[in-house]
Formats: sequence, C-alpha cells, structure tokens
Amino acid sequence: MSTSRQSEPDDPSASEKWAASLLQDCAKAISEKDSTKIHHLLWMLNELASPYGDCDQKLASYFLQALFCKATESGERCYKTLVSVAEKSHSFESARKVILKFQEVSPWTTFGHVASNGAILEALEGEAKLHIIDISNTYCTQWPTLLEALATRSDETPHLRLTVVATVVSMGGSVMKEIGQRMEKFARLMGVPFEFQVVRVASQLGELKEEDLGLREDEAVAVNCIGALRRVGVEERGDFMRMLCNLRPKVVTVVEEEADFTSTRSEYVKCFEECLRFYGVFFEMLEESFAPTSNERLTLERECSRSILSVLACDGDGGGDCDRREKGSQWCARLMGAFSPMSFNDDAIDDVRALLKRYRSGWSLLPAQGDDLGLYLTWKDEPVVWASAWKP
Amino acid sequence: MVTVAISEALDNKFIEDPEAEVIALSPKTLLATNRFVCEICGKGFQRDQNLQLHRRGHNLPWRLRQRSSKEPRKRVYVCPEKTCIHHHPSRALGDLTGIKKHFCRKHGEKKWKCDKCSKRYAVQSDWKAHSKTCGTREYRCDCGTIFSRRDSFITHRAFCDALAEETARVSVASNISSLTSNSNANYQFTGGLMRSNMVQHFPAIFDPATAEGQVGDHATPGLSLWMHHGETLSTDSSLPGMHQIGPPSIETVLHGDPFASFSNGGQQLNGQLSWIYNNNLASSSSGELTSTSLIPTSLKEADLVSVPSWFSTRHHQHSMPASGMSATALLQKAAQIGVTSSSPSFFGGVEMKCHSTQVQDGSEYNGLLNPSHPSVAANMASSLQNTANPYSNMYSTRHQTAQKDGGGGATRDFLGVGVPHRRLMDGFEPISVYDSRTNYPMKESG
Repeated sequence: MSTSRQSEPDDPSASEKWAASLLQDCAKAISEKDSTKIHHLLWMLNELASPYGDCDQKLASYFLQALFCKATESGERCYKTLVSVAEKSHSFESARKVILKFQEVSPWTTFGHVASNGAILEALEGEAKLHIIDISNTYCTQWPTLLEALATRSDETPHLRLTVVATVVSMGGSVMKEIGQRMEKFARLMGVPFEFQVVRVASQLGELKEEDLGLREDEAVAVNCIGALRRVGVEERGDFMRMLCNLRPKVVTVVEEEADFTSTRSEYVKCFEECLRFYGVFFEMLEESFAPTSNERLTLERECSRSILSVLACDGDGGGDCDRREKGSQWCARLMGAFSPMSFNDDAIDDVRALLKRYRSGWSLLPAQGDDLGLYLTWKDEPVVWASAWKP
Repeated sequence: MVTVAISEALDNKFIEDPEAEVIALSPKTLLATNRFVCEICGKGFQRDQNLQLHRRGHNLPWRLRQRSSKEPRKRVYVCPEKTCIHHHPSRALGDLTGIKKHFCRKHGEKKWKCDKCSKRYAVQSDWKAHSKTCGTREYRCDCGTIFSRRDSFITHRAFCDALAEETARVSVASNISSLTSNSNANYQFTGGLMRSNMVQHFPAIFDPATAEGQVGDHATPGLSLWMHHGETLSTDSSLPGMHQIGPPSIETVLHGDPFASFSNGGQQLNGQLSWIYNNNLASSSSGELTSTSLIPTSLKEADLVSVPSWFSTRHHQHSMPASGMSATALLQKAAQIGVTSSSPSFFGGVEMKCHSTQVQDGSEYNGLLNPSHPSVAANMASSLQNTANPYSNMYSTRHQTAQKDGGGGATRDFLGVGVPHRRLMDGFEPISVYDSRTNYPMKESG
C-alpha cells in the first residue's frame, strides 16, 4: 500500500457507510464459518474502529467487540466482564449526570415518560391511594413531574407508593438508595404523601412474582414498563404479562424502542442487520443531539455495547439481562392477549407535542396506524420509540 | 382529612355551618356567563358588582336600592356532577363564583389552549393569565442552574444536591412559623414561607436571630410533621441536614406520630403552603414579598408557578461547596478522567492507526498476535498481501490521515495524549481482565 497520498479528503471508495459494509460482511463470514475472511475482516475493523471517532468508527468499535466474541465464543464471559466494569464505575452522581443530560438534549426517554404519566394520571384520577410499580431503566426521572402533577392537579393529593423493580445489572444498591432518598425528599417538598421501596430481582426480570411486590388491598395499581418487557426472556413474555394482569392494575404503560431482535433470533445475519440499523440510528441521534466532546454521550454509547453483545454474541436470550427488543406491533400482539388497549387522552398527546417542541427539530409524534396502537416518537421520520397504555 | 383545592381553600373556608342553605345549581346555570340580571331592565352581567353599579344608574329610591332580600341564611353550593367530591352537601362551596369556577375547570370543556405549551383551560381568565407568563419564565435552581423548561427544572430539582440542604433549612424555618394557629391569612402566608429570607422581613413573627443556616429551638409538631406525613421516616441518614439540628425535641418530633393532633390544621396548612408555592412570587426576584401579594384575588389555580418561585436565587451561607465534594474526592475524580481519556479502545486500535511503520511489513502484524499462533499470523499477513483487498484504499486513506496527525511515530490517542503502545491481542484469547482504574480491558496477567 502506497503511502504517497498525503491528503485525500473524501475518497469515493471510502463510502459513508464503510462500517456497515465491513461489519455485515464479517457477520456473514461468521455465519458461513469462513475463518480466513473472519480474521481478515476483524483485523480490518480493528484498524478502523474507535470509540472516539465518528459514528462509523464507533459502530465499528462496538460491533467489532460483539463479532469478535461471537467468533471466539466468548460472549458470556465478555458480558460478565462488562457488567462488573459497569458496576464498579456506577454511581448515583454519574448516572444522574448522564440521564439528565440525555433528557435535556433528546426526548428519547422523556417522550415515554410524558405519555405514560398522562395515561397514569388519567387512569388513577380520583383514587386516594396509588401504587406505581416502576420497571424501567431511567432511574426514576419520570416521577418528579408526576409528583408535581399529583400535587397541583388534584383537589386532594393522593397517597403515592412507588415500587421500583431493579435487576442486578441496571441499578446497583447504593444508587437506588440515593434515588429513593431524593424521591422521598422531593415528594415531601411537593406535599405528596409518599412511600418508596425497591424490589430486587435476582436473575432475569421474568422471575418477578406478585408476592415480591407487597400489594395492598386498598390501593390502585399502575404498572410502568419502560424498556422492561424486552428484558424478559422471549419464551417467558406471555407468562410475565399474565402475571402483570393478575396484579389487577388500573393501567399498564409500556414504552419500548422500535427494533426487532427477536423474530430473527435464529438468523444471525438478519438479526445483525437489524441491530446495526437500530444502533446506527441511535448513534447518529446521539451525535446530533450532544456536543461533540460530551462525556455523557460516551457513557451512553458504552452502555449500548452490553446490549449489542448480549444480542449478537450470547446464546439464547443473552448473557445476563436479556435484551431482545421487539417492535410496537409485535408487543401489541402480545399485550392484546392479556389486556385491552387504552388510548392516550388529548391532554397527554398535547403534552407530548409540547414536549417535542422544546427540543431541536427532527423529532415528531406519530400515532400508530391501522391495527396497531400507541404512539411513536420519530426521528427524521423514522419511528424510534413506541409508547402505549393498556388496561385489564 | 383531605386537602382542599388551592383556590377554593382561599375563596371558601370549610363550610361548617349546619344551618347553611344548600343550593344545587344546574350545569347550565353554572356555565352561564350573565348570571346577574337587573330586575328593572333585564340586562345581564357577569359579576354582581357590575350589576349593582348598573342599578345605581336607575335612580332607585333609597329603600329599593338595597339588595331586595337580605340573605338571612348563608348559601352554599354543591356541584351538580355526581361523581364530584363537591356534590355532597358536606363538601359544598360557599361562594357562587367559586362553584362556577370549580365546575368549569373540573367538568367543563377546555376550550382555551395555550399555543406555546399546549396546556388547556376551561376558564378563559385562567388561560389568559397563563398565556401572559408562558415561556417567559426562567427557572433557577438553588444550585445556580437556570432552566427555560419547567419540566426539566422539576426533574433536575428532584435530584439536585441543593435539595438536601434546602430541606434541612426548610424544616427549621417552618418549625418557627407554625407557632401560632392558622386562621390568619397573614400568618399563613408567612408561615408557609420556607424561604428563610422571609425571616428577615417579618421580624415580628420570627426571631430574626434564626436566619439562614442557623438552627432554631422551636421544635413544634407543626410543619415538620406535615413535611413527613404519610411516610415512615427512616432513621438513617435520609436527611443528613436534619441530624445536624441540635435540639433533641425536633428529633423526637420527626420520629413521632406524624398524624398526631395535626389532622385538619396540618392539611389546611398544606393547602396554604401549596398556594404559596403556586402564587406568582417570581416577581419578587430578590425575594422581597410585599403585603399585596398576600391578597389572593389574582390567584388562579391554573397559574401554577409552583416550583420556580420557591426556588429563586438566594445565596448559600453554608460553608460546604455546592457539589459537596471533598478535595480528595475531587482529586480522585480528576485522576480518573485523566486516565480514561488516554486509555486505548477495546483493541488498542487507535494507537495502531497512528503507528508510522510500513504496512507491508508482515512482521509488524506478527507483533499483534501471539507468536505461539504463527499460523494465524501467517494467515493474516498473507491474506492481506494476497487477497484482492477491496478495503485497501480505505485503509490507506485512513492511515495517511492518521500519520498526518500523529507525526513522527509517537502513538497518540484522539486527544493527542501520548500513550504507550499496547498489544492488540494475545492470540485470540479474549480479554477478560479490566483495569479497574481505567475501566478498560488490559491483558490478562496470569
């Protein structure tokens, strides 16, 4: 290879999506067990990848890790390592910083929060004792605005009990403790009678049982699932939904990211493609939302690596926490088995619209079409997050 | 006992007069805008005052000028909506305007919509009042951060470190203010004020010595109970600030029965306090409150500026830095950041890019792989040279750019910080040990 070319600004053969083609070729090589090609491509990717570069370089870096582990059948081990690394560096301050910044620059998570809170407030209107079971990955950032709404909207402020279901990976003990204390303080500030508890699920989320939650007779229950259902093992999803139904909730809010890593479980290349497509959009969104040198963005990208690894390099449902996303229409089909749909009222939709107005352009709201239900958040006209509400 | 809606708490006290005449008006009547009709000419008016003013114009003889029937009994109004809490006579509202507004707000159609924030209102005056201030506010947290969006302000506030200190001070100030009973609006206003700035403005009520940050000796069951009602207090450090408060009486109060003789008074106070939060105090950016703001005539339930007015600036008098970090912690953090920014990517790829040695030298790449797997290395090297490499252009371009940046062979990561060269991989053994300092993988040592 010649080294004489000094400045080649945009080599046409270096197409924009070089990472995608390299990565996909490698995935194909792996599924065909073409070891020469595998080694070659892994090496190439390694040369070009960087978690600090542009989007392509980042995608190359994180997907390379998954491909490498797949090729060497070391997915589970690597996953465990990533988990322990994350746990060590995880703290309340760091988690708070990252998520609040993310919410400031992008409606990715706040969209689901606003829609869900709207549905919850509507369904629990007039109830004196509320119990929200929160199975989410957003560190309770959904609740301050709900607390404020409860304090100001109602004639009589109801009593709110918040149960957070935490799996081992996502929320370490000290982090949850701190969050709980903050929530309690804030509720006091708002004048809302409040109780907080954390229920820890030892292994998979699918193992959650009704008994673990400590429900009381006289309370109105709402179940809030943000990025939760995808963490339930694929085969256990039906049972999990039935379990939720048995809690006799007034409303179940479900928010999921729009990607399908489930139906293609047995076809590696297809699954890989979908994974790449989704994270390509996500990384691009992060790039356009954050400042170029943002540390928070870096953290979010790193957190993706676990998911990517879990889906592409681990057997079955994944190394630890399952992460098999499904699209809104797929979740609809499942949820219809246990629940009936509840549409978002005008106030909730207005609130979501108002929310999106506060962010940079590119975001919009799309109600589900046809048989499907719920609301989509779209970025550059591509649906990325799906929010829905269900009642028994 | 339950808290009363904000505006209703002020417009109408709890109706406890058993002799009151309960009036149930129809929805149509409640929504009608010209309720007050002149008996002489039939002209309708929205307000009774306007009607009275108009009647004067008819030059009535003195006797008839007075209201025709002096109400012997107090009138209270119930809400016609069956599911509403105010439908029951015991929860009737004492003011006609109050019941009309309530019905309209709660059960009426929300015809008025703010175009800035999409908030909807049933009462036009509520909408107007809101539109005036919508989008114009800035919300400032005690920690100094400013927000233009209310929702992000609220979320930030809930997790802000400043809240921890705030709560501690609040409890002290509120203890002081709850000394007297709560029937006096003036008192309620000042009593509700959690801002210790207020202490300075109303010396008659407060002991001016108990200024910001100082601990008061007034450990009454008052507001601290209100603050904690409905939840079990944890005995650990949930309120570190609280534990700094000396007087043991406050402690016992905190851990006492939160619902002790407090019931109605506390709840009403709660309502009053919420009103305080909701009232537009932001005009008092400097924290000064005049007596005019006590008068709730302009109060609109819809004008909820709750959190922001509460949290306008005031300077902290405590010595702890806002972040609450010790010097050691700060140093540790800096060290961490320094290390992570210069550590390599998963495969040490960045460094490799910048290496200036010739690509064709197969031996360089043998260095990447464990010599104990020569077949692999040979494979890699030969496949590189022999296969028609569709990516060679790409590679060389990037290589050149990297070289341009890197200069004479010194390896650098993207931040331009020099890092030691790291080996790519040891055969194909996966990297399983992570350097806990950098949180990046390092070679397995044993």
